[in-house]
Amino acid sequence: MSATHDAPRNFEMLERAFRELLIEAGVVTDAEIDARVEYMHARTPALGAKVVARAWFDPAFKARLLADGSAAVRELGIEVGALKLVVVENTPEVHNLIVCTLCSCYPRMLLGMAPDWYKSIAYRSRAVREPRAVLEEFGVRLDPGTTVRVHDSTADMRYLVLPERPRGSEGLTEAECAALVGRDAMIGTALAGA
Amino acid sequence: MSNHHDVGGAPSSEPIDRSEHPLLPWEVRVDALMWTLTDATRPGGPQMTVDELRYGIESLPEADYRGLGYFEKWLLSMIAVMSRKGAVDRAALDERVAAVTRSYHAEHAREHAGDGDRAHEHPA
Amino acid sequence: MNPRFAPGQAVVVAARESAGHVRTPRYVRGKRGVVERVCGVFRNPEELAAGNRDATRQPLYRVRFAQRELWPAYAGPTGDTVDVELYEHWLEDGR
Repeated sequence: MSATHDAPRNFEMLERAFRELLIEAGVVTDAEIDARVEYMHARTPALGAKVVARAWFDPAFKARLLADGSAAVRELGIEVGALKLVVVENTPEVHNLIVCTLCSCYPRMLLGMAPDWYKSIAYRSRAVREPRAVLEEFGVRLDPGTTVRVHDSTADMRYLVLPERPRGSEGLTEAECAALVGRDAMIGTALAGA
Repeated sequence: MSNHHDVGGAPSSEPIDRSEHPLLPWEVRVDALMWTLTDATRPGGPQMTVDELRYGIESLPEADYRGLGYFEKWLLSMIAVMSRKGAVDRAALDERVAAVTRSYHAEHAREHAGDGDRAHEHPA
Repeated sequence: MNPRFAPGQAVVVAARESAGHVRTPRYVRGKRGVVERVCGVFRNPEELAAGNRDATRQPLYRVRFAQRELWPAYAGPTGDTVDVELYEHWLEDGR
């Protein structure tokens, strides 16, 4: 019986070959790449959720967050590098939805890696043109009369939706509230607590 | 002039596929490499800009743009930019791909070398 | 560097064609919107993409468009909008 194994995928081999050549040329080091991998590993939606919960509990923080997202986030000890963050607030009157039609720009420093669907041509083409149909597909029910505001991340800004605080969460602590905030609520394709 | 990346509002009633795949290690490394090479705070400055990389992806033939995976496209674009800048030689890269592929096959052959013997222990 | 446009000001996106790496999506070209905010001054991505690190700095704006302005057949309420970040060299006075 002959040995069988998965045929190597070309891109996995290509990545290894490319990285080895760059390291040998002194362009990057293994340590740098490993450090970056670790850095991104620590970036999860829990960071964004912490920001959201603080905004729910502290109106002055919320005002600063809406005025200058990056500065406010740094107050919480979250290091965001060169991120230029715009935070957009959901209210009973307005629901926000984030997209990058041209590629897949995403606030990775606060949410980690973007989900596949966010990068898909289907989402990128439909979110600007028929946001309400997209929201329905994601199961987001809006009150009639709510305005939908789409944000296309075409340049240097990155966007975070500040979802509405769920009804019934009034007795919870800030940390318990943060646990109600999922990634999609901060993109606009879900509500917090859903 | 390639516009196939400019898809905002393009007619589509395609349902959005919401399945998500955990990133493979090589994809995570592509991402890490991309952010390392474009990091403006590195000593000596960045090797390239995100804008150059995006342009490289936009310049892929439409079939590749639509058909290749997200990290596959970033990798191809990084390679194109770095070889244009002379930091990577295409021929050397091809040779290295062949070499790492041979290593990969050899590693897997070693892992499965005992399988044939074990099969004889179990009557059909 | 003084931004040419102020929040609340009406602007029109240039209707021109483009080559190279352009961050002005086609769906807003020729469309009229209102400046929602001035985002700051940033280097022109079209030049950066061509390898020019010394790219021109210019004001970047968030411009708000009514959905009805963008898509004649838009089925949602008239208040629905799309906000897009656009560089000054793509904007003209919309008054």
